[in-house]
Amino acid sequence: MLEAVNISFESLNMATLIPMLVAIAGGLVILVIDLLKGELDKSLYITLTILFLIMDLGAVFALEINQRGFFDVMFIDGIAILSQIVIIVASALFIPLAFASQKFNEYKYPEFFALFLFMTAGFQFMVASDNLILIFVGLETASLSLYTLMVLHNKDKSFEAAIKYFTMGAMAAGFYAFASMIFYGLTGSVELYKIFEVLQAKDFEPMILILVATLFMLAAFGFKLALVPFHTWGPDVYEGSSAALAGYISIVPKIAGFVVVMRIFEGLIHSGVVWVEYILYAVVVLTMTMANIWALVQSDVKRMLAYSSISHAGFVMAAIMIGTTQANSGIFLYWILFAFTNLGAFAMLWVSHKKNSTYHERYDHPFEKFSGMVKLMPIGAVLMGLFMITLAGVPPFSVFWGKLYLISSAVNADYLVLALIMAINSAISAYYYLKLVVHMFLKDPIQNEDGSVYMSNASLSLKVILGIAAFFTAISIFLVNPVLDFTSYYVAMSGF
Amino acid sequence: METLLYVALFAPLVGSLFAGIYGASPKTLLTGIVTSALIFTSFVASLLLFLHLYSGGERVHVEMMDWIMAGDLNVPFGFVVDQVSVTMMLVVTLVSTVVHIYSMGYMEKDKGFNRFFSYLSAFVFSMMVLVMSDNFLGLFIGWEGVGLCSWLLIGFWYHKESATWAANEAFIMNRIADLGMLIGIFLIYWNIGSLQYDVVFANISNLDITIVTWIGIFLFIGAMGKSAQFPLHTWLADAMEGPTPVSALIHAATMVTAGVYLVIRANELFFLIPDVGYFIASLGAFVAMFAATMALVNRDIKRVIAYSTLSQLGYMFVAAGLGAYWIALFHLVTHAFFKALLFLGAGNVMHAMDDELNIMKMGGMRKVMLGTAVLMLIASVALAGIYPFAGFFSKDKILEVAFDGHHYILWGTLWITAGLTAFYSFRVVMLVFFGSERYKDFGFHPHEAHSYMLWAMAPLAVLAIVAGLFEHQFFDFVHMVLPHYEFSEHTHHMVGQLIIVTTAIAVTGIAIAVFSNMFREGLFSSAFRNNFLYKLFDNQYYIPKIYDEVFSKPYKELSEVFWKQIDMKIVDATVDGIANTLYATGEETRGMQSGNLSYMLRWMVAGLLVLLVSAVAYTYSDVLLTLLQGVAK
Repeated sequence: MLEAVNISFESLNMATLIPMLVAIAGGLVILVIDLLKGELDKSLYITLTILFLIMDLGAVFALEINQRGFFDVMFIDGIAILSQIVIIVASALFIPLAFASQKFNEYKYPEFFALFLFMTAGFQFMVASDNLILIFVGLETASLSLYTLMVLHNKDKSFEAAIKYFTMGAMAAGFYAFASMIFYGLTGSVELYKIFEVLQAKDFEPMILILVATLFMLAAFGFKLALVPFHTWGPDVYEGSSAALAGYISIVPKIAGFVVVMRIFEGLIHSGVVWVEYILYAVVVLTMTMANIWALVQSDVKRMLAYSSISHAGFVMAAIMIGTTQANSGIFLYWILFAFTNLGAFAMLWVSHKKNSTYHERYDHPFEKFSGMVKLMPIGAVLMGLFMITLAGVPPFSVFWGKLYLISSAVNADYLVLALIMAINSAISAYYYLKLVVHMFLKDPIQNEDGSVYMSNASLSLKVILGIAAFFTAISIFLVNPVLDFTSYYVAMSGF
Repeated sequence: METLLYVALFAPLVGSLFAGIYGASPKTLLTGIVTSALIFTSFVASLLLFLHLYSGGERVHVEMMDWIMAGDLNVPFGFVVDQVSVTMMLVVTLVSTVVHIYSMGYMEKDKGFNRFFSYLSAFVFSMMVLVMSDNFLGLFIGWEGVGLCSWLLIGFWYHKESATWAANEAFIMNRIADLGMLIGIFLIYWNIGSLQYDVVFANISNLDITIVTWIGIFLFIGAMGKSAQFPLHTWLADAMEGPTPVSALIHAATMVTAGVYLVIRANELFFLIPDVGYFIASLGAFVAMFAATMALVNRDIKRVIAYSTLSQLGYMFVAAGLGAYWIALFHLVTHAFFKALLFLGAGNVMHAMDDELNIMKMGGMRKVMLGTAVLMLIASVALAGIYPFAGFFSKDKILEVAFDGHHYILWGTLWITAGLTAFYSFRVVMLVFFGSERYKDFGFHPHEAHSYMLWAMAPLAVLAIVAGLFEHQFFDFVHMVLPHYEFSEHTHHMVGQLIIVTTAIAVTGIAIAVFSNMFREGLFSSAFRNNFLYKLFDNQYYIPKIYDEVFSKPYKELSEVFWKQIDMKIVDATVDGIANTLYATGEETRGMQSGNLSYMLRWMVAGLLVLLVSAVAYTYSDVLLTLLQGVAK
């Protein structure tokens, strides 16, 4: 006879779950509305999604720092709150891109928006837990939703991208499960803090098993964060997805991934196993450099941005490896600044999306498309130019401050060579970003048209999003300090 | 008082930004009105500050915020209003107000109307920073700011090649001089450790005299550029390509006097080095005569006035160089009034003549534009230095200073120049407003300017007449900060004779101009035009040509060599080499991105495998080593 399990409701601390529940409830509401009355306009769903995201954000702000909940699997520390804020805000900024003026297959389905909310909830679970199983559940919830969102774009390229992403994602999931299994086998727990306690007590023996588990973890998250050599899905997936979704993929899943990696590798780097640090070092340098070099030779702007996003991720991984408080708060600063700029860059591509591209048989956004843009559409060219030089890290625009802060944290932690490599990579990246600027400002238009193609997908809300991105990019010099104070506070609160 | 200071300083900036917002939109009169009103506000604030100081108030000193805090260097954004700076503020804001109002009429048909007011107000703001700063670095910022605005305004009609060329010339000439000024500022900081005027002047006398000399020389090089002293003078005449209100405000009344202001402001420094002061005075006297001779023969109405400005700046430097700082400042003030008036009058004439500048094509215009004729006549009389007009008092004082210091050569030069000045100013007046109406032969239909433009000029005309009478009040006011200049007993007795002699030559100059014009149109006969001196003056002493041959052409050839031999073959080749290597690496390795799913999965596993193998190797490195050694045996 099983005994009845008695759990008091208070001990569950349901408040920690409310943000995700809001998002999930939002998704369900959308599905129910669709069941009751089909064929509603997408604008209703977009608005609902934004509304639920705002409520979600409110619930996050209501959280208290450093508490556990729901059988202690939820772990709300500073970075959990901070990263949830980033995830939700970025999601809320990307979803209005669905207000495009052209009709797209995916936005016809209310499921798109439901899945979007489920995905957001998944990412939130990932960052708000230190339980390997819950992280896994969050990861898979988010990933499976994401694969479906990509397929809904309903083009050959997007099927291909989604299948590739799914297959490789399955393998990464396998790696993750394998790594978790070894950790469980070694320590008898799936809670990260307990795992490290036990490992510490055992003095990190047997070393080989710990290293193997670490490597499997690294491979799993290397895939998620597109670190070289696990990055190969990246460009294809970016190319296959709509520009709006590609922008999303470049920001939100990665911040979730960073947080988990911070949690897992924090303990390992400080374990005194120098070797882990070497491996990370190699991966970081490889990711930054190779992605940059590949970005140089791309002939499509979206693929170029895909590779450059990989390189930016490498930059942030370097900070995770450094692991000081300064570096960790720099990560969030960098990513917040990067998010706004990348939002702008991808939104510009999205605005210029045209169903039947006449510029190139394969690519939607070849560099030639933007040739002489300044003559046809000066404002658009200036905006795109702003985002490009910002991504290249030209002061006083946003990404520059992120780079500055990360490089200075590398110098402060005595990683001089790493700081040098980071600086050189920034220089290389300027080349391909400026290549687009050169195309826009110094070349003649290739097809003699009016500038309508650059605004073929524009609508008021897209312009608003572009305006927001440009505004925050341009005034970032005034934002850096407040944002940094904000992130440093949360990061320091959680002891990273 | 602090509020007044901030209002005086920032009202022009607000105006500039306001007009800047409309920069690309079609003309709206609003920008002109708002900027004028704001400049006028600034003028009122300056006037109140002046009254505060005049009634014996303390000088106003504020530190707005910390600006540069690097190591030992601490430069706050500080501003000071004392007797000297308030004088400058009054002059700048008064002339600016007049010019702003005038420009509303002058620029009414120009497409860049809004842009013009934005630049013009930005200039006023920079000039205010320049005169109000309490340290050398702030002064330098203002210095560069006025330089930038001057560049923007000279090249305002940027579609004209000559205008862009002149703008660049002015900018580059000033850059050369600014380098000298920067070196001077560095030297000050290096030796004193601060850039605040108070600290610098309190400690300057403790320095080695050689260093003070060098500081003085370098600062003066900066002043030479801004005030267009020989040999950096060529840009000022070419700067007349800009709109005429700009010439009136920037290239006559305010910016070009910044060099004089610098010498006056740093009087405690220059006081220590009388030799440099004497050099400044000599150069000033030389420039005064040198520029006046070029003005004698020029036929371009604006260029004549520009050379006259150059010449008058020379006068100011004589006074400043000889230690009579308050007299230099006094001449600066009176000159600002009558020279701005003269330029604005020339602007009216130009407008009436459809932008024709050649005075030979004018004549008899007093019949159609009497108001302008009267105003220009007042200004010319003031410039010639006839009692009781403003120019008389200040110019005469400078001659007395030269005489008093027994610098008879300087005095002689200035004395002759006074005659030349009277001659060329009346030559212009006569050729433009009197004589036969030659313009009819060229098909012009001149008309008088808007009446509000003439009214705007009226305050300047009044001041050009009466400003000189306030000599003693002016002296009492500024001598609280500027050193007193004592005339010797000897000069005291001579003053009467000196005045008579000077007035005599001025009157003679006027008489020659008037009579020659009455009896013979055009004054210079064709035989006279082949005269060597005439050619020399007319070609500006061939200096532009010499600069072209000596500096520009060799520099260009040198640049070609550097470009083709060093830049292309060494620097570019290196950079390209690096870029090509990176590019090639990218091309070679992009095969990794085949797009084939199986390959991609293999890459993932391969990556993991390599890592695993290395992990094993790392953990069991000692075991492996023994194994390998065993195999080797």
